[in-house]
Amino acid sequence: MKASTRLGLLAGGAAIAFALGAFAHGKATGVVKERMDFMVVLKDANKTVADMMRGKTEYDPEKVREAARAMAAHGGESMTRLFPEGSLEASEAREEIWSDWDRFSKLAENLFVYATALEKTANNERAPVGAPSGGMMSGGGMMSDGGMMSGGGTMGGQEQMPSREMLAAMPPDMVFLHVNDTCSACHKDFRREEK
Amino acid sequence: MLKRKWVYTGLAALVVGLATAGWAIQGPDFAGRNLSGLEGDVDRGAYVARLSGCIACHTDVKSGRGVLAGGTEIETDFGSFFPPNITPHPEDGIGDWSLDDFSRALTLGLDPDGKHYFPSFPYPFYTRLGDQQIVDLWAAVQSVPAVDGGPPPHGLRFPFGFHEGVGVWQRMFFEAGELDPVPAKSDSWNRGRVLAQGPAHCGACHTPRNLLGARIESQRYEGGEGPGGEKIPAITATVLEERGWTKEDLIYALRTGVMPDGDNFGGSMAEVVVDGTRYWTDADLSALAEYIFHPEVN
Repeated sequence: MKASTRLGLLAGGAAIAFALGAFAHGKATGVVKERMDFMVVLKDANKTVADMMRGKTEYDPEKVREAARAMAAHGGESMTRLFPEGSLEASEAREEIWSDWDRFSKLAENLFVYATALEKTANNERAPVGAPSGGMMSGGGMMSDGGMMSGGGTMGGQEQMPSREMLAAMPPDMVFLHVNDTCSACHKDFRREEK
Repeated sequence: MLKRKWVYTGLAALVVGLATAGWAIQGPDFAGRNLSGLEGDVDRGAYVARLSGCIACHTDVKSGRGVLAGGTEIETDFGSFFPPNITPHPEDGIGDWSLDDFSRALTLGLDPDGKHYFPSFPYPFYTRLGDQQIVDLWAAVQSVPAVDGGPPPHGLRFPFGFHEGVGVWQRMFFEAGELDPVPAKSDSWNRGRVLAQGPAHCGACHTPRNLLGARIESQRYEGGEGPGGEKIPAITATVLEERGWTKEDLIYALRTGVMPDGDNFGGSMAEVVVDGTRYWTDADLSALAEYIFHPEVN
């Protein structure tokens, strides 16, 4: 098969996948539609902050606070109330949400806590996210709770959450990373990737 | 007379067939690495572990059993694989292994008894590791606490459970050894190529596989299937660019898990970032992204 043909097929496939995704989104109704729209708001707020954190747009603490408030408003019970048991039709949600409801609720609550902390730390000194510093085995990594040979980060949802004081002293970049680790942990365990 | 001729011919064919089968199931005869004189460094090895995804696969964080004490089930079309306990526990881990055992496992896909590992263990990628990296990784793996117990054995569907078949598979699809650098390309491009085709094993999920589970290299990074039937997207330069990704977007996503549209990775990629690429140096992330956006022409 010629490279150009293959590329054409790939592009076509991507377009079809996008169209199917849009169709699935459009097909959702009721609470499933509501939470899909809810996730779009969350995603947009996240993009606003991410673009500032990575220097794509100018860092503006007021805009960070505004986006953080929007994210916090989507955490905790605001999130969990949109997942009544068994609401799977035309949805990317996985059944594990209800079989592991405690963890799902905890991650939703963590989103609220971290987003609230982001709002409060927006004016803290910046420390752009980079590779962990310090000894590889010493546990000094900026983005890990346990160092290079530890498992987890926040992925397991079992890590000790930093105290309120620790969070308040963190650079906003680090707090934002906690927000996103929470989102990723939730997506990993509870969002269905296409089969 | 004619009948006897056919019998001899049949016997000869049988002997040749059996000899061929015997030769095939033994697998290729690649030379092991000579690692004598090299000293391992735990910190450097820990970094190799993060490059290679060892921790993501061999650790079940939710169980709280400890790092490298065995991972969670990997569902495939061939059955379920369970990444084993590779802590220094002498019975349940790899505490009674030698450095050479470790090296043969990583680079040749052979266990200490000479049995072939199923390629769910991505040794076709780890075979690209350098000698020093192997020795360093061994030092790091030995540094974690020994943990007893571990996941159950693999549960594979008939006929895929026969290790002997993997020898044939290796003869057909496995190429051992480090990659030769491409002289016309920069050091960072070559580093990115080695990372992608070696420890980072991007192609393990992002490249489609044939019916025998071997990657179709002519379709490298065109998307595949991950654990549990998860759809893995294409990451060819063309597709990434069509979706509006830049090199900087890829670097940021591999550092944080945040994609350019503000969404977060889910599925197995979330684990890849949190347990792996997040720990990479800026230079390595940049090199990988450079290679992904400017790969060699197949």
